[in-house]
Amino acid sequence: MDGIELEILWSNIIGIVSEQAKALQRTAFSPIVREAGDLASGLFDARGRMVAQANTGTPGHINSLAAAGKTLADMFANRLVPGDVLITNDPWLSAGHFFDITVLTPIFWDDRLIGFVGSTIHHTDIGGYGIGAGARDIHEEGLWIPPLKLYESGEPNPVLHDIIRRNVRTPDHVLGDLAAQISSGRAGGERLIALCERAGLDDIEDLAEEIISRSEAATRNAIRALPAGTWHGESRFDVPGGEVITLKAAVTIDNEQGEVVIDFTGSSGASPLGINVVMNYTHAYSTFAVRSCLNPEQPNNYGSLAPIRVKAPEGCIVNAAYPSPLNARHVVGMFVPMPILKALHQVIPDRVIAEGSGAVWTVQIQGKQASGEAFTSSMFNYSGGMGARASKPGPSATCYPTGVAAVPIEILEAAMPIVFDRRELRRGSGGKGRSRGGDGQIIGFHMNTSEPWLLNAVPSRLDDGPDGLDGGEKGAAGRFLVNGETLSESRKMTMRPEDVVLFETPGGGGYGLA
Amino acid sequence: MTYSLAVDIGGTFTDVVLRGEDGSLSLDKTLTTHDDLKKGFFRGVGLVLDKAGVSPKDVTGVVVHATTIVTNALIERKGSPTALITTSGFGDVLSIRNEHRYEMYDPQIEFAPPLIPDALTFGVTERTLADGSISKQVDRAEVEALADRLRAEGVTSVAVCLLNSFRNAANEREVAAILGEKAPGLHISLSSAIAPQIREYPRASTTAVNAYAMPITQPYLHGLQVGLEEAGIPNRVLIMLSSGGIIGADVAARNPVRMIESGPAAGALAASWYAERLGLDRLLSFDMGGTTAKACLIENREPLVTGTFEVDRMYRFCEGSGMPLLIPSVDMIEIGAGGGSIASVDTLGLLKVGPHSAGSMPGPACYGRGGTSPTVTDADLVLGLLDADNFLGGDMKLDRAAAEQAMSSLAAALGADVARTAEGIYRIVAEAMASAARTHLTDRGVDYRGIPLLAFGGAGPVHACAVGELLGSSAVIFPPQASVLSAFGTLVTPVRLDLVRSCLGRLDALDWQEVGLLLDEMVAEAMDALAEAGCDHESVRLIFGADLRYFGQQNELGIMFAGDPRQHRDIAAIQADFEAAYFAQYGVNPSHVALEIVNWRLTAVGPDIDFRGTPPAAGVQGAAKRERLTTLWPDAGPVPVYERATLAAGQIIPGPALIEERETTIVLPPRWDAAINELGCIVAEIRK
Repeated sequence: MDGIELEILWSNIIGIVSEQAKALQRTAFSPIVREAGDLASGLFDARGRMVAQANTGTPGHINSLAAAGKTLADMFANRLVPGDVLITNDPWLSAGHFFDITVLTPIFWDDRLIGFVGSTIHHTDIGGYGIGAGARDIHEEGLWIPPLKLYESGEPNPVLHDIIRRNVRTPDHVLGDLAAQISSGRAGGERLIALCERAGLDDIEDLAEEIISRSEAATRNAIRALPAGTWHGESRFDVPGGEVITLKAAVTIDNEQGEVVIDFTGSSGASPLGINVVMNYTHAYSTFAVRSCLNPEQPNNYGSLAPIRVKAPEGCIVNAAYPSPLNARHVVGMFVPMPILKALHQVIPDRVIAEGSGAVWTVQIQGKQASGEAFTSSMFNYSGGMGARASKPGPSATCYPTGVAAVPIEILEAAMPIVFDRRELRRGSGGKGRSRGGDGQIIGFHMNTSEPWLLNAVPSRLDDGPDGLDGGEKGAAGRFLVNGETLSESRKMTMRPEDVVLFETPGGGGYGLA
Repeated sequence: MTYSLAVDIGGTFTDVVLRGEDGSLSLDKTLTTHDDLKKGFFRGVGLVLDKAGVSPKDVTGVVVHATTIVTNALIERKGSPTALITTSGFGDVLSIRNEHRYEMYDPQIEFAPPLIPDALTFGVTERTLADGSISKQVDRAEVEALADRLRAEGVTSVAVCLLNSFRNAANEREVAAILGEKAPGLHISLSSAIAPQIREYPRASTTAVNAYAMPITQPYLHGLQVGLEEAGIPNRVLIMLSSGGIIGADVAARNPVRMIESGPAAGALAASWYAERLGLDRLLSFDMGGTTAKACLIENREPLVTGTFEVDRMYRFCEGSGMPLLIPSVDMIEIGAGGGSIASVDTLGLLKVGPHSAGSMPGPACYGRGGTSPTVTDADLVLGLLDADNFLGGDMKLDRAAAEQAMSSLAAALGADVARTAEGIYRIVAEAMASAARTHLTDRGVDYRGIPLLAFGGAGPVHACAVGELLGSSAVIFPPQASVLSAFGTLVTPVRLDLVRSCLGRLDALDWQEVGLLLDEMVAEAMDALAEAGCDHESVRLIFGADLRYFGQQNELGIMFAGDPRQHRDIAAIQADFEAAYFAQYGVNPSHVALEIVNWRLTAVGPDIDFRGTPPAAGVQGAAKRERLTTLWPDAGPVPVYERATLAAGQIIPGPALIEERETTIVLPPRWDAAINELGCIVAEIRK
């Protein structure tokens, strides 16, 4: 297959999954999917190797879906018939917490299995503890759906549907979003078959092999251009409750094999809070960090991910073991790239960024409307500053590695009796340096209510700000204040009607001596 | 005889079309004069009037104008000092944006600096709550002091965007009143007037753009009016809007943000006119020029219109990298694939086309202006689709050897020969356009198969049939006057204004009194604007609509109503219309979920334009003038080359064939037939 034919077919299959992702994003009930694009959509060959992914989505989902697709394909090998649809939200097999449900649809062309279309989306609810890090073990966090057939030979599995309906708080939304995932899988499959017919292909085996092998070779070549050796990076950050987490990454570049091995040995052990990260998710953010510095322009697939290997001791905070709670795994997971970038700074200083605020701060509020009706807000979030780059400052009020959008103030005020007092950049919070870190922001609000209300806020980096690089200074630590008093709290808090909340999100680290 | 005039100022050319009431058309193109757009405007008008032998005083019909002046002002950022006034404590709204990092994988990402800098952003103490109640009144003394400050800073225009002002504009109006007293002559843009919709960042961004453009646009429009009077043209100028609406210059001068990208919108209107004349419910306009290709769906004879637009994107074509605008605009996709787009081989050994473009300087290698990168136009020439000696009617010779030279290094990297490489570029451009169109249409719940294409722009007709084959288009239509199609579009479109206002409410608990007052205000605003554009009250048609969503969702879906909701107050009908539209787009309707109205819409339309089109001159059927070999269809042998101007209505041309006109060449593949219809359109279809 030459570079012309391959380009045409490859761009077509990326087009297929991107269309499906876009359709999912627009129809989803889950606000985080619609507003933040918290989803992934991918196409797999008959062996479960990810051949293409949508060009929307978050790294945590995309790269986790790659792993989940392979696992499910292996598990159900020789047990699939046309009309089957697979499902799981097993955190260790897919995206690291119960909210993320992966649906994988086998594509049969006549009676031959030619591949799979899969998607992972963050659902509105999964029962159990709800949003937050407060559950004591995985079982308190909600409904565990092991790898199962959600549809068998085109018929819905009634037992599983009933179990899901009874075990989530928003059954219409969850089942509606699952239906959207199923129809997106079917539509993607039909599009793939149409492409094969148009291009005169019997299956996608050769195409998949070509895509995967070229991607793998190109990634290995990019790695071979780097110096060999092992470099170390370490990031420390505090999480809600005050616990300080250390992530250590030893990044080994093997420029003969063209391989990068990242080893998290020496990182903190498991946390009692629901912020533990499964290996899939650690792997997802590790490969993301390396690829975004190494060859970001190249599409993600089984081949481009294969040369990057990730290791971590079983049971540590970035290779969580059963029954550790995992619900708010992004609180730690979004820091995974930081020690890697610090190590890579010693190899490719112009392509990395200094530490930033890390995880977005998430908030959810429950209370009563003026009418007396109870409400639970959707989860909303705020970014701190991004770290500085070698030749330019870090963007303010912008998150890395995720890049989720914030919900507008007016939308929040229209949905519940919240009144914002301010939302401004936190000037001077970015670390000084040759390039300055991005500034965090200051968000103040109170409730216009006469009833007590519940605040579920997940801040981070309250003790210590993000490190600078290469002599750049630290960004300012975050602050979480209620009525002017500093707090560090991870669980749902009961608030008095008149309480006033202030968030000051961290600034990003600076780069280079000022 | 009465004549109407259209002037479309684009990036390179200023196009002018003169239409007589008998349907006669005269057209001309002149280079756009970037230092002062008015020069090119009047030069073009003069040229056309001279050519047609028409006296300026006979231009008693409309004078319609589409211009890039606002877009240019934003991209060049040469506007005069503009200030932003926000609710105190929320002054960083333009810097914080929506926090979204639009390109996930690029750690070196950049964001455009805010249009209005920190130093000129001021907070005022005031607060309107989400229910519209005012919890803090505007402090007169504070705003008076601010007015002095603005004068001292040399500010000439100010944007005012206060929280929840879309719900109750009283505080914004109070600020405007005080500023007006203390700083007369200051241009004031209120967010509650410019974009009265929920979501503070896009509303502030829209208002800021409006304020920034106002000091540039007002004198420009005034200058045009004066110039027309001096030239002896009796009528007032009407302005084309991004939505496809046309409105008086005074309304446009207060809402310059609505003039952005009005040229492409006018192209879509021309497509609508053809859809109407040809009796097509759906049509996909396909406009491929030097740097980009654009497509727009015409549904039920109208272009799809969206409520948002993005301007000045940092990363070309990357959604989220520009400034968001809450303005009704023709819903168009644009991709970086035009005649000047550069082909390259990436690290994976794949042939890629665009998004980088050689533009018009240095341009494709074959232009002989120093360009050495292989472009789409070079590939078209190497394939034999273009005639090196007959480009722009022979005014510009193309250098085939330079094109082959540019292509040879690509060919080497691919391990293919030059002909195969050129064919690859040709195919990949079509794939890219088809893929963008599929995503765009699927996203809107439209089955893309079977929709006819309307192809125009310099490169559109060369590539349209290839795109049509990939999309399964039932026909590809090549209209006459394709090189000035946008200007033509403004002349076949009635006066129109689209208004939007946010007013959130559960459908099952709608406060009809409040809605009635809101709609009354919108109707009054529209009626005033259309009266100013010369429409009789009785001739105005009102179409009401709303944007709704299921309660809990955050994206709305717009529907238009058959009647006037103020009279019918028919919740069941609104619900049924919404659910049908939702089903059409998403294929499911969630049960047990209440509906919420977010925005009300009003479209006010003036009388229809009576123009039937210009039939081609009857005459002898033109024969092929020449033959040319093309490597695109190696088995076809020499391909006949026709001149479009010699073709007569009713004539049928079997593919393969090339049909040349001055600005472009229609490429008709084997298996296709083309017929010339009575409107002068060439309609190509795959042979049955």
